[in-house]
Amino acid sequence: MVEEHPQSPYVEQDKSLREEAHEYSEDGVDLTLIRWMLSMTPSERLRTLQGFVRSIERLRSGNPNA
Amino acid sequence: MGTQTPDFLELLKTLVLYGVDFIIVGGVSAVLQGAPVTTFDLDLVHSRTPDNLERLYQALVDLDAYYREPAGRRLRPEPKHLSSSGHHLLMTRAGPLDLLGTIGAGRSYEDLLENTNELEVEDLRVRVLDLETLIEVKEQTGYAKDLAVLPILRRTLEEKLKKEHE
Repeated sequence: MVEEHPQSPYVEQDKSLREEAHEYSEDGVDLTLIRWMLSMTPSERLRTLQGFVRSIERLRSGNPNA
Repeated sequence: MGTQTPDFLELLKTLVLYGVDFIIVGGVSAVLQGAPVTTFDLDLVHSRTPDNLERLYQALVDLDAYYREPAGRRLRPEPKHLSSSGHHLLMTRAGPLDLLGTIGAGRSYEDLLENTNELEVEDLRVRVLDLETLIEVKEQTGYAKDLAVLPILRRTLEEKLKKEHE
């Protein structure tokens, strides 16, 4: 794991490696998440969003079983 | 104001059950088309024909809809309210629902119709604003919250087009 420090040479190296692997766009968008979402059907995408929203609600209420 | 957890499918099912003509816009539209964004409300542009407003009204009664107001008053939307070009920010038994008479540069349901795609979601067929137009509308409004999501929408569109041409 490379520590994110502005002066570390590893940060630039890590950034360029990730860009080379086409994991991020030039403006920093995580392309792996987009490709993952695009691999799903619209129904699966909506279920993913719904699951996310419910997880946040559970965290807010402090009840993991809510 | 209530704190109902959003249930997007329940909102859509109810609107379809009552035969409401609407276009999904905003975050849920983006998600349905593959954008990794999150949202807590469902944004729709509804047709404002008298027949559709009546169907929408019936659906809203079923959904126990009222205007989201910090003062806590339970103002119920009526067909005459929903005929305006403005935005109606509602709370329902299935979470927040935003009904938008127009979006962007005053574009109505009829104006947007040609820029929509029909998608199958579970056992429903729903209409979503296509990504190109969603991006255009967010560029037009220029709000910081809309501009912030633009890079993700643009890259999703690029990746989607790439995938379609593979």
